[in-house]
Amino acid sequence: MKKSLEKLLNKPLPVDPYLPHKVVITDVEELAPDHKKFSFTFLNEELNAKWHHLPGQFVMLTVPKAGEIPISICSSPTRRGTVELTVRKVGRKTEVLHRMKPGDLAAIRGPYGNGFPVEIMEGHNLLIIAGGLGIAPLRSLIWFALDRRHRFKEIYILYGTRNYQMVLYKEELKRLRERSDVKCLFVLDRCETAEDREWADVEGVLTALIPQVELDPADTYVAVCGPPVAYRFIGKELLKNGYPESQIFVSLERKMECGIGKCGHCQIGYKFACVDGPIFPLWDTKNLPEMI
Amino acid sequence: MEFHIERAKVLPKANLHSFISGLKKWGKLIAPVRKGEKFVFTHVEKPEEVELNYTRTILPPKKFLVPYRRERFSYSVEDLSFKTNFKAENQVIFGIHSCDLHGISILDSIYLKENPDPRYLEVRKRTVLIGVSCVPDEFCFCLATATAFPEGASWDLFLTDIGADYFVSIGSPKGDEIVYSQRSLFRDIEKEDLNAYKATTLKKKSLFKPEQLPDLERISHVVELEYDSEVWQEEAKRCLGCGTCTNVCPTCFCYTSVDVPNIAGTEVKRIEFTTSCQYPYYSLVAGGHYFKATRADRFKHRYYHKLVGYPYQVEMLGCVGCGRCSAECPASISMVETIKRLRGCNEKELREVTE
Repeated sequence: MKKSLEKLLNKPLPVDPYLPHKVVITDVEELAPDHKKFSFTFLNEELNAKWHHLPGQFVMLTVPKAGEIPISICSSPTRRGTVELTVRKVGRKTEVLHRMKPGDLAAIRGPYGNGFPVEIMEGHNLLIIAGGLGIAPLRSLIWFALDRRHRFKEIYILYGTRNYQMVLYKEELKRLRERSDVKCLFVLDRCETAEDREWADVEGVLTALIPQVELDPADTYVAVCGPPVAYRFIGKELLKNGYPESQIFVSLERKMECGIGKCGHCQIGYKFACVDGPIFPLWDTKNLPEMI
Repeated sequence: MEFHIERAKVLPKANLHSFISGLKKWGKLIAPVRKGEKFVFTHVEKPEEVELNYTRTILPPKKFLVPYRRERFSYSVEDLSFKTNFKAENQVIFGIHSCDLHGISILDSIYLKENPDPRYLEVRKRTVLIGVSCVPDEFCFCLATATAFPEGASWDLFLTDIGADYFVSIGSPKGDEIVYSQRSLFRDIEKEDLNAYKATTLKKKSLFKPEQLPDLERISHVVELEYDSEVWQEEAKRCLGCGTCTNVCPTCFCYTSVDVPNIAGTEVKRIEFTTSCQYPYYSLVAGGHYFKATRADRFKHRYYHKLVGYPYQVEMLGCVGCGRCSAECPASISMVETIKRLRGCNEKELREVTE
């Protein structure tokens, strides 16, 4: 018998990583049509106190009767006590979730994934680029950086959506725009209403904003999350503007059933999005097929 | 208990049935049985049912470690209390070929190395694996995947047919315990037994024809280099997308889970069932985006995962050369042929060119 295999079999039985922990919904906020933000608290107080995550990580959320879905955490690890998830109504499971109210029970296991490399990002400029629902995992990073503002140099937030109606976290972002220690640039696909025009700095696509960013690319870490099609164009534009590809991180979406490298659905090339990602350096996207 | 830690014993073939009967003491006995023209691993009562003269079973013994449909847990909708109804029982899987033993070792690495699955570990701890030597047919290519012999895999006993007897290698303390418990059926090895054993090993190697073996040297690199090759498109044209290749594979592990409520909607079971990367919905994400949209993408993905993905994850190829995917494919797609075409050395085509 191979020594390494013998060791595997002689381990004691581990804690079941598939068993989720009970949570109660404490708040539901409607952000945009079909988009809601849910706040959860663990019933187990000890767990509530010790539960910790990194910006960019995700959880497996059990929606009673419907099943389990992977959802990015949109709350910051600097604000403990609740886990916030922003969910778009796109299928059967999320539809059931959207009908749930404060006080209802659900279950969560995780956090899973690698998260953004915040330790190496600290001490540098931070450029956050979000497209549509991509702002959700990045909100975690935004508040993580803003709550430890002194650890970062300049911070830029670029955010693009279809129109003003689809903008998530409107009030929060409006307040951010007023802050002097962070620069926000917002773009809308089309500016048709007065609200649209008031919100948008630019009409068009996210890539148009990148040349407007006044940062030293060599001293900047970039975090990108958006629909798959956006990565290709944003990546190209970032490289054109001199950002090193090892300092650009993208968050990817994949189907998942387990979150721990066992179900196989989230395979990207030879890696698993759940355990090797979901945050990948842009360098990987060039070397792993079918990544974006 | 007293043990004889020795490297090997000899089991005369006349004692085989007594030996098999004795195995029942160690757990539920599972062994290959004839089913029409094919063979299956199934629960057996009588040693006469066991058929050791087989090349491959339809499904690998994986189904007794990771069932094709399994319940993870159940929960009540009222208070979301989770209950695990899982109970593992002792089992002895007898008559496994070397390739399938290696397949189980690969599963061990997948399930136990990172984020170990307690249920798999419990089943595995309660499973005795007894291998038996075999004769390759035209679909076998285990010599190329280095899985033609049991060394390097994890098993308890391995029986090599050396004519009138079986040469029994002992692979674990459990295996030794089993032999010791039936020691009257065995005899010590002699020089001739050892010679016969070595001759069998040599003979097995000579049974493979060069054309049935793919060249797997640096295969991960080859698959990466040939990622945009037309071979994928051409081979995928024949593929029916039925998923048979993955369902019969001893190392495929992908699964899907669904929550199934009872009729009253009070209790929910989380059911997991094996799935296939050959099915379109495999890579479907919220919003309707397919990351592996075409059949050629999915066809290529299976090879990519077996030959690049597994080496990255568990440092072993994901293929053990059992030949099931080729033997059972309704479109007669052959893994060996595809690999040969990728390497640009399809004998048939080359012959046509030179003729």
